[in-house]
Amino acid sequence: MSTAIENKKLKSNNKLVSTSLLLGGVLIAVMMIFGILMLLAQGGVIDVSDAAFYQFLTIHGTGMVGAAALAAAGVMWYFLNRYVELSKKIFIWFLGLVLIGVVLVVIGVFSFKYASAWTFLYPLPAISANAWGVTGALLYLFGMLILGTGFLLLYIDTGRAIIKKYGSLGKGLGWDVLSGKKKVSDAPPKAVVASTMVTIVNTTALIAGAAVLIMNIINVINPSFTFDPMLAKNLTYAFGHIFANAIIYMGVIVVYELLPKYANRPWAVSKLFLVAWTMSTAFTLVIYTHHMLMDFAMPKWMLIMGQALSYANGLPVLVVTAYGALMVVYKSGIKWDMASGLAFLSMFGWTVGVVPAVVDATIVVNHVMHNTKWVPGHFHMYMGLGAVVMLFSFTYYLAKIDSNVKESKLDKIAFWCYAIAMFAISAQFLVSGALSTPRRWAIHYPGWMTPAVFGAIAGVFLVIATTIFIIHFVRYLKNRGTVGSGLNEQKPA
Amino acid sequence: MVQTAAWVTSLVFMSLVFVVYAVVAWKSREKSDYEQVKKKWTKARKIYATSLVTVLLVVCIYTLRELPYDLPIYGDDQDPTVVDVEAVQFGWIMSETEFKVGEPIEFDVTSSDVTHGFGIYDEDMTIIAQTQAMPEYTNTVYITFTKPGTYKILCMEYCGLAHHYMVSEITVTE
Ligand code: HEM
Ligand SMILES: [Cu+2]
Ligand SMILES: [Cu+2]
Repeated sequence: MSTAIENKKLKSNNKLVSTSLLLGGVLIAVMMIFGILMLLAQGGVIDVSDAAFYQFLTIHGTGMVGAAALAAAGVMWYFLNRYVELSKKIFIWFLGLVLIGVVLVVIGVFSFKYASAWTFLYPLPAISANAWGVTGALLYLFGMLILGTGFLLLYIDTGRAIIKKYGSLGKGLGWDVLSGKKKVSDAPPKAVVASTMVTIVNTTALIAGAAVLIMNIINVINPSFTFDPMLAKNLTYAFGHIFANAIIYMGVIVVYELLPKYANRPWAVSKLFLVAWTMSTAFTLVIYTHHMLMDFAMPKWMLIMGQALSYANGLPVLVVTAYGALMVVYKSGIKWDMASGLAFLSMFGWTVGVVPAVVDATIVVNHVMHNTKWVPGHFHMYMGLGAVVMLFSFTYYLAKIDSNVKESKLDKIAFWCYAIAMFAISAQFLVSGALSTPRRWAIHYPGWMTPAVFGAIAGVFLVIATTIFIIHFVRYLKNRGTVGSGLNEQKPA
Repeated sequence: MVQTAAWVTSLVFMSLVFVVYAVVAWKSREKSDYEQVKKKWTKARKIYATSLVTVLLVVCIYTLRELPYDLPIYGDDQDPTVVDVEAVQFGWIMSETEFKVGEPIEFDVTSSDVTHGFGIYDEDMTIIAQTQAMPEYTNTVYITFTKPGTYKILCMEYCGLAHHYMVSEITVTE
């Protein structure tokens, strides 16, 4: 293929992927504002009606997970597309369906007062104590279903493309290498292994999610149709846990691709790497039960497994991914800029977030920490300081290789501002959790207010930093292609 | 207190992670041969991984010895007080709300509408036990109060707009 044509193709791919990142990035920034409003309300600084607070909670949770997943899917698609042939048409469909879903969700929440939180725990959507009606519930649930369909389409395509090139999803995870049928040097690249993992777990998550959404929809339309609330809860958390977790497994591809390039060191696929990803695949599918440790009616062995496997789930990242990243960077003379700096920060965020997560997965701890603010504490760390940072690492990277837009001192300030503010917000949640503050409470008792106010102040700095990140990306979008090549992309790390 | 232990443990290990990343970032300015770095630190990884797995395994088994799900062993002369708890949007219906210090109690918790959370808070507003209040299911909290006072029941699962008003009281006397 001539380089000119190849080049053009890359260019239009960049445009598509940029759309998902811009949409995701802006949504994340807007959702942060709702986060600040919630903290201000909880801190007693402003007055927010109960209805408005829980609408904010619902839109913030749904929006953040949705936006981060959307942008992360763009990142995964960008890198996976270098190794397998993905369908552009499907990606456009994916963007369109997600957009329609988002619009329905927003209308449902703000025009029809729907506020079940993003976990829509059956039978809350139908039994709202007159806070919202059938229309709001249906808009939200159908919106989520359409959004999920978009994602499902995308993963069917990634799965198809991986199978076409490598033979099967098992081979995409490198099982033929593990079984000794193939040499390690012929193993699939890291981006393919990670994408295979995400394809497997998210297809499962989305099917579980679709099932429980449809059951809720029928129940909302016809309340005499009921089903087992424990089954619904299992499906809900299987969907929610897996889908939220998969974001970081898509985002980490940035770290895999960038750090070796910047450090000028190979980060080769090893058998240990393949084992780690197979472990992550299996654990991510089953450890959602740690969300149900306070459901004493669940089979006890499932809950004990929930704790044990959650502990084990820390191993692949602690021993392989984070350790590997540290080895690549250590004494490498790496060139630090926004992209490599954010990639490194994101690994820190992921690793540090494992700690409070593992602590909370301990049943005796969960007995007094479940549904306290400790829970948002751990996932704001891992999402805000891990997954979202990966996304912005990618936007700076794209700007670098595909335009002449330069990074300024302001970007650097934004980097530190983001890191410190996001850490402060997560820490504030953890402190609240240790103080027994329940999560999802529109008001706090006086003894619980201080951390929330502190978090709201940090939140303002975070929004400023995020805005600076986005402005840099928008400047790139306006100057796209001014470097004229994107060809340094051709040689994989 | 469990919360303090959790907080201190998290703080220690989170600081450790921070120090490791800070040192690596600092040392990234030096440049040395990757093969040597890899050799040395791949060896170190064996020790690190082994100790990590050992620590996690020990802590996991240790913390699984006593679980809140298990029926406590009562003495011969002890008959637990069984309390029926029913959650409704937005309040707690309890068959009994006054208890004695040292009296073994079993709260049988269920719900008649949506999922709620049954959380027991002591006088310092520290949560000491909880379970989910599920429609169609009954979860039992086993507890023996050791201190007299007014305890609060807070809703721990989002259940609608008055979720945070779903608070009730129980009293424990000597
Ligand atoms: C300025 C930054 C942010 C602030 C101030 C903020 C604040 C909050 C607050 C106050 C809550 C409700 C806590 C409670 O349960 O009482 C919350 C929940 C949540 N946040 Fe954030 N947040 C921020 C950024 C993020 C980011 C970056 C993500 C993920 C990408 C995120 C995802 C979530 C999710 C999933 C929930 C759970 C919603 C629920 O409980 O239904 N947040 N956040
Ligand atoms: Cu309730
Ligand atoms: Cu509630």
